[in-house]
Order: sequence, then structure tokens, then C-alpha cells
Amino acid sequence: MENTFSEKESLAVIRQMIDTAKNNLQQGMGKVFLLWGYLVAGISLATTILLIILPGDSRYYAYFLWFLMVLGGPLHYLLIRKIERERLVKTYIDKMMHWVWIAFTISILTVVIGLILSSLFIYPALSAAEATNDVGQLFQWIFMSGSAGTNQPVDHFQFWFQWLFIPPFMLCLYGIALFITGKAYGFKPLYLGGIICWVSVLILLATIHHPHVLEIQQIFLCFCAIAGYIIPGHLLNKKESSDVA
Amino acid sequence: MLPELDPLLHSQLRLAVISILIGSDEADFVFLRKATGATAGNLSVQIEKLREAGYISVEKSFRGKMPRTTCQITPEGVTAFENYVEALQNYLPK
Repeated sequence: MENTFSEKESLAVIRQMIDTAKNNLQQGMGKVFLLWGYLVAGISLATTILLIILPGDSRYYAYFLWFLMVLGGPLHYLLIRKIERERLVKTYIDKMMHWVWIAFTISILTVVIGLILSSLFIYPALSAAEATNDVGQLFQWIFMSGSAGTNQPVDHFQFWFQWLFIPPFMLCLYGIALFITGKAYGFKPLYLGGIICWVSVLILLATIHHPHVLEIQQIFLCFCAIAGYIIPGHLLNKKESSDVA
Repeated sequence: MLPELDPLLHSQLRLAVISILIGSDEADFVFLRKATGATAGNLSVQIEKLREAGYISVEKSFRGKMPRTTCQITPEGVTAFENYVEALQNYLPK
């Protein structure tokens, strides 16, 4: 490059160089989307199958498969460490998106941990109520309100009902993170994935009283993982390899 | 009378470096070299001039066993760039 140049050339350099550093997802990000996409799709598919084939109340043990999500943590860490090592430029969009995904993770963890904690209160309450067949006792255990007891059978369902809101809530968060990331980097498959997640939330909330709601929710989680993570992940990988070629 | 353009920025390579850094939180030396198409030696010299003027900060570290140089624009650099673009507008036909 020459040392001095005209004012017009000067503007052209500014425009060209600013374009160089903007709107490109970091190399390797496709693999991160694929990791979480295949994990969610695999677990939700396996949960759906177990919900269908396991008999009676034992089918609910299928949900323990979701604890496998913790496997994603160390793998994610290794992938991100590799990406950070190979990173040549960090744009302001990269920085903002990093915090969007941190906020997404914290939101998911907060809801899951909160609901697990609420279940810890339900177990002793249910046991106590079943022992005495006393709903009043049950409420006393849960809310410490000291309400008077009545002799009615315990309806377990109402105490687990909150868990039905987890899949739509998760998909709502997926939708937000995918839509923002897709729009920020101008990558259409990602923000379309976000829109698909939001449409799925509408369907899941509308079908929350359906007799097969549990299976429907798992199938939609699988579908959204494919639409929002797996397809964009593969497209990103393809884009990266064509950029290099 | 037209305002004088900052001579430190009115050089193709230095302006290219500053333009990349204005849109980035940080950029690696290798990225700057590829983006500008400059030789490593020439780029090093120009980066050092920008650093001496306080327009950019340069951090040297290691990525594994490989040395790594990362550049970031400083608030002074942002102001200088803004002033440069403002002065440049006066040279363009209205």
C-alpha cells in the first residue's frame, strides 16, 4: 500500500476495512450449534420414545435423560477454548452476542434450578399428605400457611403442572437468542430458527391440556433443535469451508 | 480554508488499520496483515507509529507457544478518527 493518497481513496479504504471486520460469525461456531442441537434433539427424541413405551408412572423416569445435558458443558468449554485460541478479530457484535448467550444460559439455569427446588418441597409434602390423606397438611408443608385440613384425595398432577411450562419457556428463550444472533450477524437460518421456536411456543401453550402433551412437547423440542441449531450449524460449517476454499 | 487532514491517519495502511479497529473490539496482527494485504515488516512499523501517537494499544501475549500481538483502538484513536472523517467531508463535493 502507498503512503499517501486522495480523499476519495481514503473513504474507500475506510469503507472496505470496516466491512472486513463486521458481521461474520466466528470460525468454529457451527460446531457449537451442532453440539447443543444434537444433544437436545437426541435427548428429546429418546424421551419421547420412553414416554410412549414405558408402562404406567415409570414413564416419567424418562425425564431423567435430561440430566445428560450437563455433558454439553465440558464439550462446549473445549470448543470455545479452541475458538478463542484461533480467533483473529473480535468485533463489538461478537462481544454483545457473547453476553446474550451468557444471559440465555443464566435464564435457563435459573428456571431449571428453581423448579428442581420447588420439587424438593413437594416430595416430603406429598409423603406427609399421603400418610394422613390430608390435603390441608399438604398445603401446610408447602406454604407453611397452617391452613385447615380436609379429607380429599391428593391430586398429584396440580403439583407437577408447573413442569409443563418448561419446554415452551425454553423454546421462548431459544427463540430470543437465535433471533438476536441471526439478525446481528445477518445469518438467515439462525433467525428463521428463532421464529420457528416462537411458533412452536404458541402451539405448545395451546396444547397444554392435550392428553398427549408430554409427547407433543418432546417432539417439538426435537423439531426446534433441528430447525434452530442443527440445520444452521451445518450451514455455518458449509459456509466456513467454502470461505476457506 | 480546508482543515488539514491528520498526517498520521492520512496514510493508506495506517488508515486501514484504524478503520478495522474502529469496528472491532480487538484484532490480531495476523488478521490485520491479511485484511490490509501489507507485509509483516511494513505493518509492524505502521502499528508502532500509531501506538506511539497513543491511537492504539498493543498487547503481546502467547497462544500456546506462538507469540500473539493484539491491537485495540484507544479513546484518543477514536477521537482522531472522528476528526479525520469530519475533516475529510470538507474535501468532498457537496
